Amino acid sequence: MSGAPQLIEAVLLVSARPVGLGALCSATGLSKEEVSTALAGLGERYSPENSGIVLRNVAGGYLLSTNPACSSAVERFREEARPAPLSGAAHEVLSCALYLGPLTRGEISRVRGVNSDAVVRSLLERGLLAEVGADRESPGSPALLSVTDDFLVATGAASRDDFPPLDSLVGPEELARVRDRLTPAGEGPPTHSPEDAL
Amino acid sequence: MTLEPPRRSLSDFTVELDVYSGPYEWLLALILKDELEIFEVPLRELVDHYLRIRDPEDPNSLDRDTDFAGSAAALVLLKSRTLSPDFESEGDEEVALSPEELAERLSAYLKIRRGADSLRERFASNAGHHPSAHSLPPRPGSLRIDPERLSGAARRAFSRLAEPPVRHLGPITVTLQELASTIRLALAGGPVAYEDLIRNMNRLHSAVAFAAALSLAQEGHLRLSQSEPLGPLTLEPPA
Repeated sequence: MSGAPQLIEAVLLVSARPVGLGALCSATGLSKEEVSTALAGLGERYSPENSGIVLRNVAGGYLLSTNPACSSAVERFREEARPAPLSGAAHEVLSCALYLGPLTRGEISRVRGVNSDAVVRSLLERGLLAEVGADRESPGSPALLSVTDDFLVATGAASRDDFPPLDSLVGPEELARVRDRLTPAGEGPPTHSPEDAL
Repeated sequence: MTLEPPRRSLSDFTVELDVYSGPYEWLLALILKDELEIFEVPLRELVDHYLRIRDPEDPNSLDRDTDFAGSAAALVLLKSRTLSPDFESEGDEEVALSPEELAERLSAYLKIRRGADSLRERFASNAGHHPSAHSLPPRPGSLRIDPERLSGAARRAFSRLAEPPVRHLGPITVTLQELASTIRLALAGGPVAYEDLIRNMNRLHSAVAFAAALSLAQEGHLRLSQSEPLGPLTLEPPA
């Protein structure tokens, strides 16, 4: 008879997607407590220091993946190159969707100050963004975009709460500096360009 | 003397950039069709690439250089115009922004950009993970169905199609049963050729007679024999 860790290990091995706690309980017939205890043990066994396989808690579930330290050997074996890194514009669009989403293409373009439709299209194709609804109050009910589970897996996040809050990303001094440069006391309109301000 | 068709001087120039890899002319087409953001295209890298592969000994080099300089200048102009605020069309709104509003917008953008920087690091640090190669089929229970799209699809599927116009057809004056009886009578005397059967019939009767013969054959009341495709058809009593 197999124990809880073996059962969970086997289920995780055959899944290319994160498996949630509920799905693990359902597949193995174990209770939540038993699964959680077994996962803690597996986490130690499959840590980056001990194994070529690591247990990750991503996108609301658990996923066995190869250890990044072994990635070059894996990529040589599979004869496939790692996908090209995303562009700066793509990271900005994802940042908008993560922190301000769900939001429309127009809102993304407004935040970035440039048309972002092509970047959004490319991210939809890569499965990092998805249409999750429609803004019924805007003319034409444009689609609302948000980040996907694939995005959480690719960034190694268990949930959206894993990311630092937006307001913590820029210090108050830095924001004050932007305001000071744009609104000089006692003077008229700003003479600096936005690039100078940033 | 033979005339060779004119060759486009940049037709064999291919580029290798992070955002695009392929023929230069396609790159221009993608930019013009808004399939590729001009902001994404590093123009300096593009020019450097051209200068690296440029062959001054090529007899077409002058044409190539001229074409490339023209298109590259157009890209620079397009990029600079896109980056600059459009004061003619929507400039009013931009100019009307107060310094405080502008500061607010820039602060919001600054946060998003910092978020983007942090995402870049997370993507980079997680890029080496390869999950199991087993891909499970999607579970029906996890499909997300938009009720509106479903009702739209149902409306289209169940809506009645427009009736085809039939005014060009004359009144139908014969039934399948009548011609089935005619065929049965003819078969009482032995095999009969289809051509003989319909000799005195009009086109409508001929067509219905053929349908009746097929129907009788399917029910086993007669046999159809035809020695070759499109050859003479004979109706025979069942064995």
